Amino acid sequence: MSTHPYLRAYLAGIFVTTLILPLILTAFIIVRLVLQLPVPIERGLIFPMALVPAAWGLWNMIWLASHSRTHLAIGLHGAIFPFLLLPIGATVAHCFGILSFGSSSATWFQAIDVPYALIVPAFCCGVAAYYLVWKYIVGGLNRVLGIAV
Amino acid sequence: MNAHDEDRMKQLLRQALPPVETDAEPARDLWPAVLRRLDAEPARAAGSLRQNWFDWALLTGLIVFAAAFPATIPVFLYYL
Repeated sequence: MSTHPYLRAYLAGIFVTTLILPLILTAFIIVRLVLQLPVPIERGLIFPMALVPAAWGLWNMIWLASHSRTHLAIGLHGAIFPFLLLPIGATVAHCFGILSFGSSSATWFQAIDVPYALIVPAFCCGVAAYYLVWKYIVGGLNRVLGIAV
Repeated sequence: MNAHDEDRMKQLLRQALPPVETDAEPARDLWPAVLRRLDAEPARAAGSLRQNWFDWALLTGLIVFAAAFPATIPVFLYYL
């Protein structure tokens, strides 16, 4: 198992998001086609469906390439990822009109109001979730695929 | 190869290879080291479990947050 380590790192990285994509699609079909709610969710699908899985794979490849120098644990490496994803995702969401900023809250999908005071704890929870997912799932897959150092 | 050569070869082999003692033993008793190794494995496993309290706390916090603010779950999924 010494060949193509970066390909295996990419596949291990995209595993989680690839599993979640059908759930997002199911939610989309229920919300938009079954319930026929006027939520422009299809515009927001580009980020989670096209960019995020590839970004996870590339982030795992970066971990593999840099681990010999940084010796950073994979959980911490994954916890850094939201600091990169949040601004990119917010920019994409704002450009596609699914994220708007009000005086006291940000609104996603023209339906979900999140007060600004809640964004920081929510972001901390996102960092914690990424830490756990990368430590246990992506790290476990890296060990299974023989690329954990 | 004549008989003289065979004797010479046997002599050279005996010089090169020391005789193996029938009751050869290691210089020290290795069993205590094996026991120490066996004892260390469960202790190390228990240590890793003790260290996981932080991860359990994080997971609990995530569940509590999602239960308290369920509106943030779609936003989480969007960024995942």
